[in-house]
Amino acid sequence: MNKRRQKLLTISRVQFAAWELHLYLNTHPNDSAATLRYKELEAEYQRLVAEFEQEFGPLTLPAQGNAWLNDPWPWENTKEGNN
Amino acid sequence: MFQYEKKLQFPVNIKTPNPVYAKIIISQFGGPDGELAASLRYLSQRYAMPYNELKGLLTDIGTEELNHLEMIGAIVFQLTRNLSEAEIKKSGFYDYFVDHTTGIYPVSSSGTPFTAAYIASKGDVISDLHEDLAAEQKARTTYDNILRLVDDPDVREPIKFLRQREIVHYQRFGEGLRLATDRLNSRNFYAFNPSFDVKCNK
Repeated sequence: MNKRRQKLLTISRVQFAAWELHLYLNTHPNDSAATLRYKELEAEYQRLVAEFEQEFGPLTLPAQGNAWLNDPWPWENTKEGNN
Repeated sequence: MFQYEKKLQFPVNIKTPNPVYAKIIISQFGGPDGELAASLRYLSQRYAMPYNELKGLLTDIGTEELNHLEMIGAIVFQLTRNLSEAEIKKSGFYDYFVDHTTGIYPVSSSGTPFTAAYIASKGDVISDLHEDLAAEQKARTTYDNILRLVDDPDVREPIKFLRQREIVHYQRFGEGLRLATDRLNSRNFYAFNPSFDVKCNK
C-alpha cells in the first residue's frame, strides 16, 4: 500500500469515529464523555487533513492553482489503489 | 450548504471487473431501497421535523447517504471498466450497456429507472420516522441479498460496511422516535401531528 493511500485510510478511520459519535450525539446531546471524545477526534482529523494536503494536494477546498483537478479521483482505483 | 471532500467514506479498490455484479449492485444506486432514495428521503423530510435532535439526525444521515451513493457509483464503475464487447454479451450486461454504455445511471437491477415514488415525505414526525426505520431495514436486506450473490472480497468489504451503516442508522432513528414521543401526550401519540399542530407539543 502506498503512502498516500495509507494516510488517507488513517484520515478515514479518525473521521469515521468522529462521525459515528456525531450521529450518536444527535440523540444523546448530554453525554459529556462522548462530547469530549468527539472533540478530540475532530481535532485529530483536522490535523491529519492539514498534513495530508501539505503533501498530496487538496482534499476539501480547492487550493491555489488547479491542484484540485489532479489525479486521483476517489472512485478511480489504480494497481496500488488510490482511495 | 454542501461541500465536497475528495475521498470516499470507505475505500473501494476492485481488481477484477465483473459486469454481473455491477448489474446487481446498481440497484443500490437507483433502486427502490438504494442510496439515492435514502438521501432524498431524509433531506426532504428534515424540513418538517419540529425537534432539533431530529433536524440534526435527518441532515446528517441524509448527508452520509450521499457518501454511500458515491461508494456504490465507484463500485459499479470499477466493476465495468475495461470490458470487452464479448464479455458484455456473455455476461448479460448488454441490456444496461445498450442504453448507458458503462456510464452510471440511477436504475434498479431489473431496469426500472429511479423515481421519487420510492420515497415518502409525509410532513408528520411519527409517519416519517417509521418510513425511515423501514427504509433502513429494507436497505439492510438488499445488502444481505447482494452478499448472498457476490464472492469477491474486494466488493464484499465495502458492501459489508454499507450494510453495517443501515443498522446504525436504524438504531439512531429508533432513538429519534423515542425523543419525539417523549414530547407528546403519552395517552395518545397520534392525537395530533406535531409537525403541523404546533400547540400539541408539551
